Amino acid sequence: MVLRIRLARFGKRHAPFYNIVVAHARTARNSKPLEVLGTYDPIPQPPRPGDSKGRPWKEIKLDSARARYWVGVGAQPSDTAWRLLSMVGILEPKYRVREVKQQVIKADSAAKSLIPPKSSTTRSASEEVVEA
Amino acid sequence: MMLPRLRTSNVPPTLTSCPAIRPQPLIHSPRISREFSQTSCQQATLRRRKFYEWLNGPGAALRHPLPGSTNYLGAYDRFGNLVRARPGWQRKQNAEAEAANTEGEVPKGGEGTPEAQEAVDELEMSVRREEEQKKTEGNQDEDKLPPETAEDLRPFPLNKYFRSQPVLSEELREAIYQRVARDGASVSLASVEFGVSNERVGAVVRLKQMEKEWIAEGKKLAAPYSKAVLEMLPTTPYIDPSRPENKGKRPITHEAINDLIVHPATRQQLFVPVSESRQFTRVDAGKAFDNNLLPADERIPHPELVLAERELVSGLSFQERKNLAEERIVKQQEKKKEEQRRREELKKVQTVSGRRWDFVFQDVSVENVGRDGRSPKGVGWRYGFPHEDRKKGQVKIPTKVEA
Repeated sequence: MVLRIRLARFGKRHAPFYNIVVAHARTARNSKPLEVLGTYDPIPQPPRPGDSKGRPWKEIKLDSARARYWVGVGAQPSDTAWRLLSMVGILEPKYRVREVKQQVIKADSAAKSLIPPKSSTTRSASEEVVEA
Repeated sequence: MMLPRLRTSNVPPTLTSCPAIRPQPLIHSPRISREFSQTSCQQATLRRRKFYEWLNGPGAALRHPLPGSTNYLGAYDRFGNLVRARPGWQRKQNAEAEAANTEGEVPKGGEGTPEAQEAVDELEMSVRREEEQKKTEGNQDEDKLPPETAEDLRPFPLNKYFRSQPVLSEELREAIYQRVARDGASVSLASVEFGVSNERVGAVVRLKQMEKEWIAEGKKLAAPYSKAVLEMLPTTPYIDPSRPENKGKRPITHEAINDLIVHPATRQQLFVPVSESRQFTRVDAGKAFDNNLLPADERIPHPELVLAERELVSGLSFQERKNLAEERIVKQQEKKKEEQRRREELKKVQTVSGRRWDFVFQDVSVENVGRDGRSPKGVGWRYGFPHEDRKKGQVKIPTKVEA
């Protein structure tokens, strides 16, 4: 059977809380897993007192050595689990929509700002022709 | 045009030479014979002659620095006589001078420091006076030099306002290093004890550490150089309290240690209208300049000295003051430990910043659940345990809010 690294939802209504678990793919979401690798609290916490940047934060507890092991023996992370594991460098990041979009925008603007040097290209083309 | 390029050697020297040596008579023969040479004319000019005259006359005294004294131009007059020496004074031969030096070894530079600091307190002044007295007593039997005056500490004769400031002597540096590294004194404590600023104590400790490492590695040190330079500079001596003759003496302060550092925010002039009824303290003044600026009382390097003085004035006994100081030190150490702990905790977690929030990854161990997987120490929501939130006596209203 396929092993999956996935999230199991706990917590109350409007207060989600996830266990990051290794389980057989066909078992129920909240059934007892093979192993609990960690937790993921998706509700952002207010910035910590000592934090100079003052950014909210989400807490993730993870046994990264164990996660590496399970990935190594062929456990398949779900999309969300993949996103979390790729943040600590266990997996290659897969879902980089924002980055890709930004790259596209950059490339577009670069293409727009580029003025095609017409005369030089024509000349070089003619020279190539002569040489040929 | 067929004109050849003008070579620099063909250009008359009046064009190439600098204006300072232009008025010399133009003699072309040596230039022609040495066309390959770029060196300017080797004729003896007036300036050159004067330079050699000075070098062999008045300047000769500077070649071999006086033992235990600075070697500045300002100490000599135009004719090469030492200004502070008595009229009949003659410079001794080297061997004699050395003998005299060893028999009457007095920490040098003690006489160099007083002019550097205006704020020397009474006790210290008396110590220095004693030292000077000792020196003058020694002078009576031999033709020793009087101590250096402020005039002698001017390396640049044309700049009357520049006075050479004393540097730390080698013994003092070693003592500072030992106090911090071996005895484990804090930098600020060492700073107070030796009268050397916090920054300088830190620098001394770092450099000494490096020196020891180099010695351990077997690297060669430029010791003769440093010795020669230190011999010609005014230095702050180290008063070793373990020696019997130094009993009751206080260390000579190297510099003012509690000077307020000028914060860039306070460089502007401010006019803040304040109602007469309002108390405007130094704390408010600090805030007026910048919201993040601490008041001057807290920005000085050694606020504890001010506090100690305040306690002394308020009439507390020595024991009480000592207890208070110890309490303060303990509190400070606890604070430092707490900070250290927090820093280490922060190091354990790994923060990945996202667009709107940070993801904080904390490393845990799956082993904590125990062999049966039911230990409450394990990570995550537990399986097979009912929630206790419907139980009696569960308080759901938060009792504390972290701000």
